[in-house]
Amino acid sequence: MSTGRDQRLADTFVSLADTLVADFDVLDFLGLLTERAVELLEVDAAGVILSDQRGGWRPAAGSSEHAELVEVLAAQTQQGPCLDCVRSGEAVTSADLLADTDRWPLFAPAAVNAGFRAACALPMRLREEIIGALTLLHVEPMTIDDSSVTLGRALADIATIGILQQRAVRREEIVFEQLQAALHHRTVVEQAKGVLAEVGDLDMNDAYTLLRDYARAHQRRLSDLARDVATGAADIAEMITWKAKAGA
Amino acid sequence: MGRNRRDRLRELLIADRARGAASTVALVCARCVVDLSVTGAGATVLSKLGDGEARATPPDRGLVHATDEVSAGLEDLQLTVGEGPCLDTFESGGPVLVADLALDGGRWPAFTPGALALGAAAVFSFPLQIGVVRLGSLDLYRDVPGPLTRVELTDALILTDMATQGIVDEVDGHDMADLSWLLDPHVEVHQAAGMVQVQLGVSTDAALMRLRGHAFTHDLPLAEVARQVVARTLRFTREEEERR
Repeated sequence: MSTGRDQRLADTFVSLADTLVADFDVLDFLGLLTERAVELLEVDAAGVILSDQRGGWRPAAGSSEHAELVEVLAAQTQQGPCLDCVRSGEAVTSADLLADTDRWPLFAPAAVNAGFRAACALPMRLREEIIGALTLLHVEPMTIDDSSVTLGRALADIATIGILQQRAVRREEIVFEQLQAALHHRTVVEQAKGVLAEVGDLDMNDAYTLLRDYARAHQRRLSDLARDVATGAADIAEMITWKAKAGA
Repeated sequence: MGRNRRDRLRELLIADRARGAASTVALVCARCVVDLSVTGAGATVLSKLGDGEARATPPDRGLVHATDEVSAGLEDLQLTVGEGPCLDTFESGGPVLVADLALDGGRWPAFTPGALALGAAAVFSFPLQIGVVRLGSLDLYRDVPGPLTRVELTDALILTDMATQGIVDEVDGHDMADLSWLLDPHVEVHQAAGMVQVQLGVSTDAALMRLRGHAFTHDLPLAEVARQVVARTLRFTREEEERR
């Protein structure tokens, strides 16, 4: 690893640790983790999918909310590296999705169409259970090297720890409760995005960015701000003004 | 695994309904007692669809379903004392599972003694909600302590989904047979609700009902209506929908 990456790695752990001790919000945390994954692993996009505890999987966070990435993350819950990863518990990679259309006849063409050529999925494991996956996507064909896989695995482990929120896992039920709460907060974020998109005439990615940036700048939990936006308790006009002043 | 369990539970509910007209929520409560290792099940459906009011205000007393007197008593107790696992589900956003109320119930000093006296040794509460749209809660209890198994938790979540769907159907009178809109990873339904609530100046609840009404009237899947709203080819006004 280069020295530059060492420094960025150290910075990442510090900022992630910060979110763990402060007023913790799981969506904030996972969002930050995917953004850091993109920088550290030098890929174009990253996302986290989580078990819905009913036999299915749902996207929980992404390094951006551009339509292409949102589509690919959703598709990964039906077929592709993520699904293979969570079922096997092993890392699953594709250096070139164009060559893997037999492997994933529905997912591979869709991902290529969305602009991604390489993919890697890393399991989020808690004891014997796989609770989700960290997925990495790149627009060019790419073979991810061993040290990057190791780092990626470490980030996936951090994501898992984040779900537990420092609590001693005395009760098995905590993981179950936390996962369901995370998925609920995700729904609220989607509702809030709709509100902001309509008021500010924004696309969904810009609506998400506004929500995330405003929350961080004002030390608010993303989930709480989203709830306030969706319930009419937030001053949306002020948020939009702030964004205009803060610059794009 | 999920799909098979979901189909199985749906078929059981349909068979239950054929045996006698009852609301979906009542059927879900009854099915919980049969399928899960719980002694009783209760549900409170909020009478005024709230928008996520501050926790300090307990939810308005609404329609209560219960499979036995203890469940009915637990529903009543939580609303009366204004605390308990059920109310905490709205705080956290997720289920609250208490396998041993005597051991872990210290956080509800006003609720736990009363609940134990009623005969509840374990309590499992599941919020019935769609993001900020709060519909009620499903509360299971057992007369001896012990956790729900992983399979039981999965079934409880599926039954929670069905209860949520059932409440929405009964509120707007449109029985939309497929549950996929609730579980769709394509989240446009939620985004569309947010957009429509601004277009109409109403709550998220009302926006969701308006979207469903449009889907029903035009015989379209709700996901398709949502897609059109997000793509901005379909807008809602108070009088009618404008199509671009």
